[in-house]
Amino acid sequence: MACFPEETILAYVEGETGAIETARVRDHLLLCPSCRQSAERYRRLEQALARPIISEPPERLLPQVLNRLYPALPRITSIAAMIAASLVFLITWIYIYFDFSGSSLVQALRLAGDDASGSLAGAIKAISTVYHGAQAVQKAGAALLRILLSAPLGAALAAVILLAVSGLLATFLLRPWLKKARLPRP
Amino acid sequence: MTVDEDQALIKKALRGNRRAFEELMRKYERKIFSFVVRMVRNEETAVDLTQDFFLKIYTVLDKYNFEYKFSTWAYRICYNLVIDHIRRHQAQVESLDDESVSPRDMLESENVNRDDGFRALARRETRDYVWSVVDQIPLKFRELILLRYIQELKYEEIAEITALPVGTVKNRIFKAKEILKKEMDKDGLLS
Repeated sequence: MACFPEETILAYVEGETGAIETARVRDHLLLCPSCRQSAERYRRLEQALARPIISEPPERLLPQVLNRLYPALPRITSIAAMIAASLVFLITWIYIYFDFSGSSLVQALRLAGDDASGSLAGAIKAISTVYHGAQAVQKAGAALLRILLSAPLGAALAAVILLAVSGLLATFLLRPWLKKARLPRP
Repeated sequence: MTVDEDQALIKKALRGNRRAFEELMRKYERKIFSFVVRMVRNEETAVDLTQDFFLKIYTVLDKYNFEYKFSTWAYRICYNLVIDHIRRHQAQVESLDDESVSPRDMLESENVNRDDGFRALARRETRDYVWSVVDQIPLKFRELILLRYIQELKYEEIAEITALPVGTVKNRIFKAKEILKKEMDKDGLLS
């Protein structure tokens, strides 16, 4: 029997020959050492190719793509924390600057402490003690601020803080819209 | 992961689900990068092209037809991206349509036999050596070997991706293996 072309032997090794041709090639290989050797070489080559060496991509590859597709926006928690911190700072500053310690609310708290009895009185006294301590610090702070800050400067500071808080709130509220706008839509 | 899982991820990604698209990228990252790096033979370029591929996929995801396999569609985009890059940036690119194995092709494969430290090391294992030779064979053969063995595609799928007739694909892969077999024979690796 005549030898098969190399292409047919390779197709046989790859399992790409039909049933009849497969049988014919198989029979031929039993009788032909040359074709058998050729088939064996293709088989080894096939085995080597079937286990490709996969190159590991650098770790930065996907994060860089993700950063371009989904640009990092401030997290909700960080926005909330910044707003809370700004508000605390603003309220503290207003309280210190305008010295609200003599307000009717504070006076009412003191009087309530005098009239109450038992555990309620203890709680109010504890609050008052903490308050008095804070008041002392506040008065010292207020005195310092009065030296450092003139009224226009204070107003400017308040405006800046209000602006920052408004900006943060706007970012927070517009976050979903901003996210959509920055992305190329799939 | 099945084809249906790919499509489920695509549907989620189209609804804006970042994790779904990330999972899809992770699934294909290694194979795409391996294909690209062996095509362009430069790691930095391969990184850029792989990233461009994923960005491209993201922007055209809504054009994906769910009646077809996602992998074939994605590999076609990847293949076109890489071929475009090679045509634009590599000065000496042999004709991808030429059927024959030219003397230049063989000369290029002859160069494979020139020894260097890397190849001497790689020769310790046939598989390593075979793949180091694959990296050196002409692009028109190499691309088909890569699609066949790295992307694990059928001849028909390769034909669809490369826009070549199935017969041409089979013929070129056969010729590529002929070149590889000759190289292996020279080194007695297949005997």
